[in-house]
Amino acid sequence: MSRQGTVRSALDRAADRMLTAGVVERLGIGIASVVLAFVVGLCIVAAAGYSPLIFLNEMLLGALGSQRGIALTLRESSLYILTGVAVAVAFRAGIFNIGVQGQFIVGGLSATMAILRLAPFLPTGAVGGVALIVLGSLVGIAVGGAYAALPGALKAYADANEIITTIMLNFIALGVVLYLISGPFQGEGRQEPRTDSLPEYVEFPSLLFETGSFSVVGLVVALASVAVAYVLLTRTRMGYDMVTSGKQASAALYSGVRAERTIIGTMTFSGMVAGLTGAVFSIMVLGGYVDPQGIHTYGFDAIAVSLLAANNPLGVVPAGVLFGGLSRGGSFIGITTDIPAQLVDGVIGLVILFVAAPELFRMAARRTGLGSERR
Amino acid sequence: MAGPDSRETVVRLDGITKRFGSVVANDGIDFELDDGTVHALVGENGSGKTTLMSVLYGLYDQDEGRIVVDGEPRTFDSPRDAIDAGIGMIHQHFQLVEPMTVLQNSILGHEPTTYGMVDEERARADIEAICSRYDFDVDEHLDTPVRDLDLGVQQRVEIVKSLYRGAEVLVLDEPTAVLTPQEVDRLFDLMGELRDQGTSLIFITHKLEEAMEIADRISVLRDGEKVGTIAAADATRERLAEMMVGREVLFDDEQRATETGEVVLEVDGLRVSDDRGLERVSGVDFDLRRGEIFGIAGVEGNGQAQLVQAVTGRRDVDDGRIRFQGEDMTDISRRDAIEAGIAYIPQDRLEDGLVLEDDLVRNALLGFQTLAPFVGEWFIDWDGVRDHADRIIDEYDVKPPDRTRLARSLSGGNQQKFVVGRELSHDPDLLVASHPTRGVDIGSIEFIHSQLLDMRDDGLPIVLVSSKLEEIQNLADRIAVMYEGEFVDTVRPDDVTEQDLGLLMTGHREAAGETPPAARDGGDLS
Repeated sequence: MSRQGTVRSALDRAADRMLTAGVVERLGIGIASVVLAFVVGLCIVAAAGYSPLIFLNEMLLGALGSQRGIALTLRESSLYILTGVAVAVAFRAGIFNIGVQGQFIVGGLSATMAILRLAPFLPTGAVGGVALIVLGSLVGIAVGGAYAALPGALKAYADANEIITTIMLNFIALGVVLYLISGPFQGEGRQEPRTDSLPEYVEFPSLLFETGSFSVVGLVVALASVAVAYVLLTRTRMGYDMVTSGKQASAALYSGVRAERTIIGTMTFSGMVAGLTGAVFSIMVLGGYVDPQGIHTYGFDAIAVSLLAANNPLGVVPAGVLFGGLSRGGSFIGITTDIPAQLVDGVIGLVILFVAAPELFRMAARRTGLGSERR
Repeated sequence: MAGPDSRETVVRLDGITKRFGSVVANDGIDFELDDGTVHALVGENGSGKTTLMSVLYGLYDQDEGRIVVDGEPRTFDSPRDAIDAGIGMIHQHFQLVEPMTVLQNSILGHEPTTYGMVDEERARADIEAICSRYDFDVDEHLDTPVRDLDLGVQQRVEIVKSLYRGAEVLVLDEPTAVLTPQEVDRLFDLMGELRDQGTSLIFITHKLEEAMEIADRISVLRDGEKVGTIAAADATRERLAEMMVGREVLFDDEQRATETGEVVLEVDGLRVSDDRGLERVSGVDFDLRRGEIFGIAGVEGNGQAQLVQAVTGRRDVDDGRIRFQGEDMTDISRRDAIEAGIAYIPQDRLEDGLVLEDDLVRNALLGFQTLAPFVGEWFIDWDGVRDHADRIIDEYDVKPPDRTRLARSLSGGNQQKFVVGRELSHDPDLLVASHPTRGVDIGSIEFIHSQLLDMRDDGLPIVLVSSKLEEIQNLADRIAVMYEGEFVDTVRPDDVTEQDLGLLMTGHREAAGETPPAARDGGDLS
């Protein structure tokens, strides 16, 4: 047998192995990847002259070591799950919505402003609080959806590449929101770009955890969005059209899918989830709205979350929790030790790379046609 | 024809076995090619013909067995080794560099050099010598870029290229699939000439008449095994078909529809452009009645695809009118067309007809995702769709009968049966079938044809586009021949021969052949 043939057949076997792996196997591979990445990452930490044991200890302590740590991990996880769903739905339909961050920001500001402007007309207290949260969220969803529908329409009717338009709209969102909160929407008597604070009664109830910036409600909203996206994609006509378009656009057109409508619908749904994330973030975490340049880029990290989850809404949950834990543990290390942030980010990046590698390999195998015909 | 018995064996394959995972593509195949003969290798798609020849040509390593060339056992790690041993292969898809000239393509990889430079004069002389020896016309085009030549000439360039590399054994993989009948005749003349001058040829085909016409001996493969080898003189169509399929195959010409009903489809002055805005359908008119098959013949790329897409709502119409069941359907969407009962077997099942990475259940819904009973206002009844997929698999004999298989993993014939089954399962009012048996094995062709005729007899009007003249002639009640966006002529199948149709396909209105076939090589086949 020639050498080329040997290499090829070894690759074929590996591709088959990866492509036929079941859910349990994939989870096992994922956990093994995390462990392996930490082994490699900690070697680097040691080589840089820091204690790998302290690194690992602080990472775990920060993410899981206290009630507060767990609450913050779950807060980050909820936001990664929500934005991850927004990205995953679009990617599944073959549309690259890179604008989740922008939709998240405009959705958040809209929810904040809706609550602030409606508050005088509603009773204070728990009833008014719930009503304002619902109304504010609906406005956030609507504005996020509309902000994503715009690049959707540009793609559908003017064939404008959505990657470029959504990235441009991210910048526009940053600029416009910063202008608004430094001008027309700036809080009374404030020097910095910031809106008024939300009324105290507009907050999620602190069930189970006492930490002010996390409520189980946020996690429930995230899981509910996962369920909705999953049902949408697997059980509905719209979802069938979306997934078919993503897999094979020509076959979708043959089957009578109206490409324009599916593109705009997909972008709108994706943007609605991003807008909802913005509302949750402003109500649960910020309690108002701040300079968007200082807000963490959940919308961009969500692209990695979604890819890690193979663009499957259900997979977004473990992927989001992993990101949440790493993010929380990483910032804790930054506070409690003198290990430089770059090193922490490097190790986190390594973990993500290792966990994503099998999926990247699968994508590459599908694309190059490795593996036997029978999958 | 030469007596094969007295000949020396140039290539012998002994017990070749080739497996892909758990699939045995070739199972202990013995094969002998005698010097200066044409040996046809026939079999259905997926029977292992191309795999066997790829082993011989060094593209695959066999798992068992050996290759003996000129009496010596050989191992080929790559086509280069095979070429060095005097074996050339003409693939279905030509391996030519389109922007390069015929001369450059012919010598590619084996350029004669003087002081390290390509010696073009010597190359030219060598190629011209080959052309005059075998009476090829390729030397007329030596400085023409390959992309400007039609497929027949490109194929001859491939043959010249192999001969230039010193091939004494030529493997031709389904060489007639891309040719018009006239060009097939011409290819056979060339093959005869090559044989008479001592080249040995292996001719892969699934067209039985062709094998009987040109070959000295015929070997039949079925499911990766060799069924047998017979002398072409002893072969009949029935015997070969039985060997290929493993049971008796009926070739009886079907009865034409005698009674047709009211007009269902009226197409009037239709003009349609392609994606680049070039007009591809230039004023086509026809009517279709219930219980009638209207055949559209033509060399591919003469506007048939755009015509079909316009009728099925897949492409916008520039001008003209389409009326279906008395209603104007000129500007309908694909969705409207499906809901109006227009079923469509697309010409490319891999691109349009199936989602390759989806299982058969999801594929059973393709095109019908808005229709009862499987879909309500919002939700899909997947249990219902699963049963529906099982019904299609069962009624259309799709193998393997497993709805969880990905569409990609089925053979071409079974993919096509599934598509046909799905399209016919919704009780359509019109069927548009575009190349319904392309790349499909003979057993499935027979099955699909009988399904179409049954539906026709039940009153279904059918538009049948095909570049296979035999198919059109056997099935259609009327045949329109399309050339450069227009119908050259509309004829009754019994009134014309294949040769007449072939001439019409190249744009000659006088089917009797009064116009000299000047455009034979210059004709635009792209």
